[in-house]
Amino acid sequence: MNPHLILRVVAKFLIPFIALFAFYVQFHGDFGPGGGFQAGVIFAAAIILYALIFGIDAAKRVIPPSWVRIGMTLGVLLYGGTGVATWFLGGEFLNYTMFAPESHHAAGQHWGIFTVELGVLCTVASAMLAIFYAFASRLPDLSDEDW
Amino acid sequence: MSTIFEHYNYAIIIILMMTGLYVVFASGNMIKKLVGLSVFQTSVFLLYISMGKITGGQPPILTKADMEAGAKAAASHASDISHGAAGVSEHALQSASETIYSNPLPHVLILTAIVVGVATLAIGLALVVRTREAYGTIEEAEIDQLDYQRNQEGEGA
Repeated sequence: MNPHLILRVVAKFLIPFIALFAFYVQFHGDFGPGGGFQAGVIFAAAIILYALIFGIDAAKRVIPPSWVRIGMTLGVLLYGGTGVATWFLGGEFLNYTMFAPESHHAAGQHWGIFTVELGVLCTVASAMLAIFYAFASRLPDLSDEDW
Repeated sequence: MSTIFEHYNYAIIIILMMTGLYVVFASGNMIKKLVGLSVFQTSVFLLYISMGKITGGQPPILTKADMEAGAKAAASHASDISHGAAGVSEHALQSASETIYSNPLPHVLILTAIVVGVATLAIGLALVVRTREAYGTIEEAEIDQLDYQRNQEGEGA
């Protein structure tokens, strides 16, 4: 019998909701409090909880460290790329209006903020996981007898 | 007395700040010191964020209506030049202050400060991990004692 049965069952139940809440915060960032920074940390917290309960090796199978490294740079690229894209559309750097110049509902602003926040989510979640992996991988996992 | 209750955010900030400072001073455990440092940092974030909040303020995004109002103000600005400088600036001020915006600068500053705070916290934790690997403890008193012993042995040899 696993000594952490309750922890495992509760964590399995909670982790999808934590991840879902991260995406709620992410997509709510357009209209109110929220955004990529907070969502990234919440999403990373879901993975870190998984790592705490099921072990760092299981978490590394879910999101390998190489993905984390790629994710960190991909987010920055997405953020900067949005700015460069508006450049090529004829506006200034990060002038979101260029994505939909004819719109009266500021649709361009929404698209611009959406992509930029996606980049922020990517980078923040990956950076958090990178820090966690770096710390957690140094010491061996606690065995069940050490608890 | 009522001004204290109107500005209760500053009271919370000062309490948090002093709590963090006390924890940094009083605890010998390095992790607890870092926690105190984070609490202190959070109080500074709150100070800036609460200063940036303006009652009834809108998000600082320019809409089409604002741009038209701004263009009108600029046009009237040009036509009023003959009426003298004082009248012009007053007119421009009136048309500019129709919508109240929240000040975005403190928020952006603190967004950066939070990210820097996470990075410095990670560096602090890395130093604690290394200290533990080198000394086998993260209590400052024990580390001092180990250092003292090591120095004594060094002098004896």
